[in-house]
Amino acid sequence: MGRAPGHTPVTAERPDVAIGDTIPFTTIPWGDALFALFAGVMLLSGLLVVTMRDIIRCGLAMMVCFGALAGIYVIVGAPLVAAAQVLIYIGAISVLILFAIMLTETKDAPSRLVFQTQAIPAALAAVLLAIVTMLAIVATDWGELATRFHTATDELAKVLFADWILPFEIVGVLLLAAVIGGVFLAKREREGEGPR
Amino acid sequence: MIRVFGGTFLAVVFAILLGMVAIATGGADSLDAYLVISSLLFAIGMFGFLARRNAISMLMSVELMLNAVNLTIVAFGAFVEGLAVSGSVIALMVMAVAAAEVTVGLAIVIAIFRNKKTPLVDEYDAMSQ
Repeated sequence: MGRAPGHTPVTAERPDVAIGDTIPFTTIPWGDALFALFAGVMLLSGLLVVTMRDIIRCGLAMMVCFGALAGIYVIVGAPLVAAAQVLIYIGAISVLILFAIMLTETKDAPSRLVFQTQAIPAALAAVLLAIVTMLAIVATDWGELATRFHTATDELAKVLFADWILPFEIVGVLLLAAVIGGVFLAKREREGEGPR
Repeated sequence: MIRVFGGTFLAVVFAILLGMVAIATGGADSLDAYLVISSLLFAIGMFGFLARRNAISMLMSVELMLNAVNLTIVAFGAFVEGLAVSGSVIALMVMAVAAAEVTVGLAIVIAIFRNKKTPLVDEYDAMSQ
């Protein structure tokens, strides 16, 4: 075989399910159909995040975007990353952002203009970036990178807690520092007690 | 009524069109498709970061860009044999750092909001006066 442990092809692990590999009465594989669905939902809700006027709806569209991205993680073969995506992004970061939206909402100045004056050049730059990167991706010959590998979660745990143990611990310290810094920055200062 | 259903219809049509992009570049079994949709998501996030006035909108756009990069990392991890496990681990690390980043970023936005009473970044002009 010659493969590193933990890297097994997806096809070898596919369970024998009754619904079959393709959508009934068609020749479209389930993987492609779900991938197209998740990609479409993700890109559409991403567009809604940056274009809608009501910022609360932007935050909710962002949650949809993250959920669809979790589906794409499942399809690509990284289920633990998908679970972490749901827990961290949908469960924590989106809620945090929604709370911040509610805290910073101004009643007296509901600005109708959500875009800067540089919105049109920004749109041109974004379209140009998308075109250039897509051309580069399509023009590159990825060669042998045609087989999809499934990440076994127990192998991931072994690698995470053996090879990556130092970054793992440092990330823990970083999160603690971020929590303390966030509390300190957002704390309301008492009267007559300035920053020292 | 027609506005609601027209908007929903347009959204569904647009989502199908965007999903067609994913199929046209090779579907779920090709690296190209994942890279193309993640580059599209990155471009969307870049547009949002450059174009929105609200500081929290800009932070949300940053999150979109971070997710696009994460998708690229996971896709390469899934298709390159030697990277399979490390790709997922790096993605988890990026998520943790993104959580720290958004905590501090939102705290800064709230602290500025307390002083300036506005979340719009083009009114934060104290340094240019």
